[in-house]
Amino acid sequence: MSQISAAGQSHGVGADHPALRSSNISMAPGAGTGLKSAFIGLGVLGLAVVAIGWFKDSTHALASLHVGVITAITICLGATFFVLIFNLVNAGWVSTFKRQYENVMSLLPIVSLLMIPVFVLDYLKGGALFTWMSSAAHGDVILEKKAGFLNPMFFYARSAFYILLWAYITSTLRRLSLEQDRTGDKWLTAKARRTSAWAILVMALSASFAGFDWLMSIDFKFFSTMWGVYFFAGSAYVGTATMILILALLRRAGKMEGAVTSEHFHDLGKLLFSFTVFWAYIAFSQYFLIWYSGIPEETAFFEMRLKGAWPMVGAAVIISHFALPFVIMLFRGIKRNPTTIAFFAIWSIAAHVIDMFWVVRPVVHVANAADPVGWGMIWIDAGAVLGVLGVLGWLIVGKVTSGPLVAVNDPRLGESLDHRNYV
Amino acid sequence: MSSIHPDQVTAQHLAGLSRLPDRGTPAPGTGDGSLIDDPSVRSPLVLNERTFKEVTDIVCGYAENKPGKWWLPALIISGSIATLGGLAILYLVITGIGTWGLNNQVDWAWDITNFVFWIGIGHAGTLISAILCLLKQKWRTAVNRSAEAMTIFAVICAATFPGIHIGRQWMAWFLPPIPNANNIWPNFKSPLLWDVFAISTYGTVSALFWFMGMIPDLATLRDRADMRLRASKSGPTIAPFIPIRVDAVRAYIYGFLSLGWRFSSRHWHRYEAAYLVLAGISTPLVLSVHSIVSFDFATSILPGWHTTIFPPYFVAGAIFGGFAMVLLLLIPARELFPNMKDFITLRHMENMAKIILVTGSMVGFAYTMEFFIAWYSGNEYESHVFKFNRALPTWISDKGAPYWWAYWAMIFCNVLSPQVFWMKKFRTSPTAIFAVSFLVTIGMWFERFVIIVTSLHRAFLPGEWGMFFPTAVDITTFIASCGVFLTLFLIFLKFLPVFAIAELKAVMPQASPHHHHEGHAHGGGDHSKGGHH
Repeated sequence: MSQISAAGQSHGVGADHPALRSSNISMAPGAGTGLKSAFIGLGVLGLAVVAIGWFKDSTHALASLHVGVITAITICLGATFFVLIFNLVNAGWVSTFKRQYENVMSLLPIVSLLMIPVFVLDYLKGGALFTWMSSAAHGDVILEKKAGFLNPMFFYARSAFYILLWAYITSTLRRLSLEQDRTGDKWLTAKARRTSAWAILVMALSASFAGFDWLMSIDFKFFSTMWGVYFFAGSAYVGTATMILILALLRRAGKMEGAVTSEHFHDLGKLLFSFTVFWAYIAFSQYFLIWYSGIPEETAFFEMRLKGAWPMVGAAVIISHFALPFVIMLFRGIKRNPTTIAFFAIWSIAAHVIDMFWVVRPVVHVANAADPVGWGMIWIDAGAVLGVLGVLGWLIVGKVTSGPLVAVNDPRLGESLDHRNYV
Repeated sequence: MSSIHPDQVTAQHLAGLSRLPDRGTPAPGTGDGSLIDDPSVRSPLVLNERTFKEVTDIVCGYAENKPGKWWLPALIISGSIATLGGLAILYLVITGIGTWGLNNQVDWAWDITNFVFWIGIGHAGTLISAILCLLKQKWRTAVNRSAEAMTIFAVICAATFPGIHIGRQWMAWFLPPIPNANNIWPNFKSPLLWDVFAISTYGTVSALFWFMGMIPDLATLRDRADMRLRASKSGPTIAPFIPIRVDAVRAYIYGFLSLGWRFSSRHWHRYEAAYLVLAGISTPLVLSVHSIVSFDFATSILPGWHTTIFPPYFVAGAIFGGFAMVLLLLIPARELFPNMKDFITLRHMENMAKIILVTGSMVGFAYTMEFFIAWYSGNEYESHVFKFNRALPTWISDKGAPYWWAYWAMIFCNVLSPQVFWMKKFRTSPTAIFAVSFLVTIGMWFERFVIIVTSLHRAFLPGEWGMFFPTAVDITTFIASCGVFLTLFLIFLKFLPVFAIAELKAVMPQASPHHHHEGHAHGGGDHSKGGHH
């Protein structure tokens, strides 16, 4: 018996590890205040721009706000997904920074509440964004067939249900992790794994349907079985990017030295790279199958995005979301250097914003033949995205600075501290 | 006896295929000692504290010794079944495709079902050798070699079906775009042609990966045969009265295959670099091959075939079916080969059962999406396919699907049966895993049958409705492909290194730089009779 446990490799590590000294893994009181102010300043400014935009072109402002809110939600969804996966596969290398994933994860239900203003404004505008709610769509033959699903009552109830589910899952996982900080009970890790098992099933279904409801349904005639996977691929991508950015900023602030090293950035960079490719695979498959078959009820989705200047935006999506980062992030040095990989993290978030812009905005402005993209008022989009992301950044900085940066009693900390790529 | 090894004691445990002594008893509640739940402890990947020497002896022993009594009968039976397939194909070539049950309405059935079924089986091997390698999953080392072998055999079985389906099989060389006098080219716009490229790339890369990985182990087998030749003037010969020693043949063949491998650091360095490159190349290959197979259907406009989720859904299903097949092969193997349970532990079983659960649920997710979107699309042909051509049993409604049993067999086997793995008791029981894997294999065959035949059997006009009934040739060819697969796998088990020896050693505690050189690591002399050194 003793021999068997000797064969298993224990990675218990004490708090005396130099990387885990208190000054390295906790923020000084008041730290991050400047960044917090900058973020909330950006948030208020951006949202003020949206408010001005609302009086200029309310439909445009509503759609812009939606792009920002969806981007923020996908960031938190991506973080949640990775927490679940790390728990499920007993990942060891992430232990020093999993807390940061949990921080972003715990914001998911709060950020999802930003859908409420979108719903309210959409209601005030009589379904300008969710066009199936508009009076213009009333009596549409296709809409009537799906009215059992696309009706306001059920729609709002579903949205509330997703947010409640997410609140329960994310708060449970966070509670287990924080409890481990206090008690040091290693079995909480096993408990988190068991919770994650059913949670990932629930998240897969709820996130897919949220993708259907909040994105696909704005063009209610369009349908694609791939949509949930597309939504997930973008979320996982932008979630990883945000994590790299947070860790690079913490390293820049002189924290997590020896706890998050080039080895971790290297592997996180590989994850970002692989989700660049995975997203491209999903996006291409969806496009390609619709293009090849050429069934009008499906091609309308892309047809709409081939009008006016929209092809330029589409090309920007392909280049920024896949072609360019694919070629550059292949290089090992780019992934191992916190500065260059942080650059690509920001780049990826921007690419994801363009993707969401390409998904949401054509639906509301395609009617304007002269300027279907709405370049004239693109400042509303910029304000909305920066505003919402400013609020998200403010929330994230608040979370990050609220406690220790590392889950200090994670039983696999040793593995993460020893993490090496070797090749 | 002594021909196997100059040392009598070692020779006995090798030649008798005896089980090496167990060391220590597993802690209670950990199964064979590998099911450690404690999050602060990583389970051992090789049990019974084997020494490096023992690992080499065990793995090489499978190739050097007489196999168990079961091996030859199994080979004869599976070989005979495979031969039947040869006869069925001969009959097909002589007579024509009309010997299959295809008809005007269902003009694509078992042939393509079997093709997709076998191609899918191979994906587990590629996932284990490529993706799990990039993800640094150490447990893969125990299963990668046999899974990769299985991949290649599955590709061979798969490639047969389109090959014999083309009608004039002697024109099969027209499949690749070869310049010819009549300027006849294949249709580059057809996914079927992309399949030719995808499958041949897949087969080539998988074979390279498999073979390259085996080179150091083949060299070990070569050196061991050579050592025995030098150690003794006499030994078993290939046949009575022919003075050619078996070991001479071994040294020659394994020597030829090991390409001059000398275990130098320089060789290892290049080997590792090549391994990583191949893993990198194979990773998109795992996704691309079955995606392109899915294009065969999804690029059409046929309700039931044309849906955007097909590529990742086919990939998940392929990995699902592939892991089921890996388990179907390895669970009996670890019972039949002595000491194999030291390498393929219950933890390995549990991990693979979890992959079955995950991928099975992904497939279930895809079924759900298809069903939901078919309704949500508002396209009545789409929803008709799922409701009336697949799911609704005839005993509920006259309008129901005559193939309802195939659809529900698929749902039961693929989505419901793996759910037992939510319980640890089942996912750590080889019997339960074997049973579920068997069901999954059946279910994944039915999945392809459901997609292909139920979508075709009722076209837009009721006048174009028909049924498919397989003929004896259809059935024989499919069963024979299983025979071919098993025959090749049995030959692999007997003659080639079933485990990557160096990789197995690398995940043992002795390989760790932090390992303390006391105790068991140097091979306990206390319990053996001193023959291990």
